[in-house]
Amino acid sequence: MRRLPRGIARLLLLGALTAVSLPALAHHSFAMFDFTKTVTITGTVKEFQWTNPHVVVWVNVEGKDPKTPDVWWLEMTSPGNLTRTGWNRKALSAGDKVVVELNPLRNGGLGGALIKVTISATGQVFSTNLRDMEKPGLK
Amino acid sequence: MNRDPVSTNIAVLLFFFASAPLLAEEKTADIVNHAPRPSDWGALAKLPDWSGVWTPFISDQNKRITTDPVPWQPKVAEQIAAMEAEEKAGRPRGLFIDCLPEGMPTWMLITHNALEFLFTPGRVTILGEMDGNRLRRIYTDGRGHPEDPDPTFHGHSIGHWEGNTLVVDTVGVLPQSYLAVSEAVGIPNNGDLHVIERLHLVEADVLHDDLQIIAPHVLTAPWKTTRIYFRQRARKYDIVEGECLQGNYAQRQDGHGNAVFVPIPHQDGNPVPQSPEQK
Repeated sequence: MRRLPRGIARLLLLGALTAVSLPALAHHSFAMFDFTKTVTITGTVKEFQWTNPHVVVWVNVEGKDPKTPDVWWLEMTSPGNLTRTGWNRKALSAGDKVVVELNPLRNGGLGGALIKVTISATGQVFSTNLRDMEKPGLK
Repeated sequence: MNRDPVSTNIAVLLFFFASAPLLAEEKTADIVNHAPRPSDWGALAKLPDWSGVWTPFISDQNKRITTDPVPWQPKVAEQIAAMEAEEKAGRPRGLFIDCLPEGMPTWMLITHNALEFLFTPGRVTILGEMDGNRLRRIYTDGRGHPEDPDPTFHGHSIGHWEGNTLVVDTVGVLPQSYLAVSEAVGIPNNGDLHVIERLHLVEADVLHDDLQIIAPHVLTAPWKTTRIYFRQRARKYDIVEGECLQGNYAQRQDGHGNAVFVPIPHQDGNPVPQSPEQK
């Protein structure tokens, strides 16, 4: 796991993200995540679960013990909403090396609300932002 | 033929009592939903066009908690304040993590997912991707509410058109159903809930639901607020299946090679972080 230092540009990005990525799920609040913090992790997709009410990805991240990775879980909105923002059920696959930006759990647990994931091999980026849908006639 | 008037009266009375159950049966049987005529289908074409998929204006939902404050009764306000404090502290109380329906009017107030409208003779149906593909039936055939409807999460809804505005009246909502302003802040309506909605287009692709929520056991006055939806026509916005609890299960194979769902440990609506040994 590596945590990026926060520069001015990062703070600006953080401000933009916290303004637009508040609770995204239908059935529970997102208040357990700290939207004032952004954490970046690098790891390998363990499982990508494309289900309602929230899509979840588990990511193996190297921890203190190189033989036993930490397992992070990252939540997103629903498959329907993600489809409309460019995702699909094959967007991530087990074994993909990924860099994930997330708002972490406030309690320090290995979990968070996914902001953006980059697939290292292809450079492909998927992000979640329901606020992008707050206008009519989207393409 | 002359008949004894007393005998005649007795005969009439006997006939009346004997046939009373039959008459009652006929009355019930008389209430049928008639097959729509071509004119009924034709009348639909004169209604405003609400086709397409409608996505909620989530930022506005959040804003209106402040701009349209809920007139909670003092004792309720205390409970709400405690829930708000817990949510702000990062310990949200999940009102809907059991996946029981959000119900009326809550799902119209807090949904983050899409809905669509179907117009058919005598009825408007709201189909949600929201809240696990749940739906509302709004009868527009002129019927009234049942005298004593069985309480349900979405209640009994009747509607009529006033120009291009659909006016919907809903009663019969379960007292346990939440009146909520977020997934973590709300209170059971505690009975006698009455919701009046006026749904109408304000622009070609912007729909407003003006709600008046009368909840005499938790509010000091009717709560008036509005929820806004945006029309999408791109096909990727088509409603998809969404079962609330599916995320609580992993897709695995059993010992026979069958594709099965296996529960994932959850706490407060979230997966419990797994140890690497877990599969």
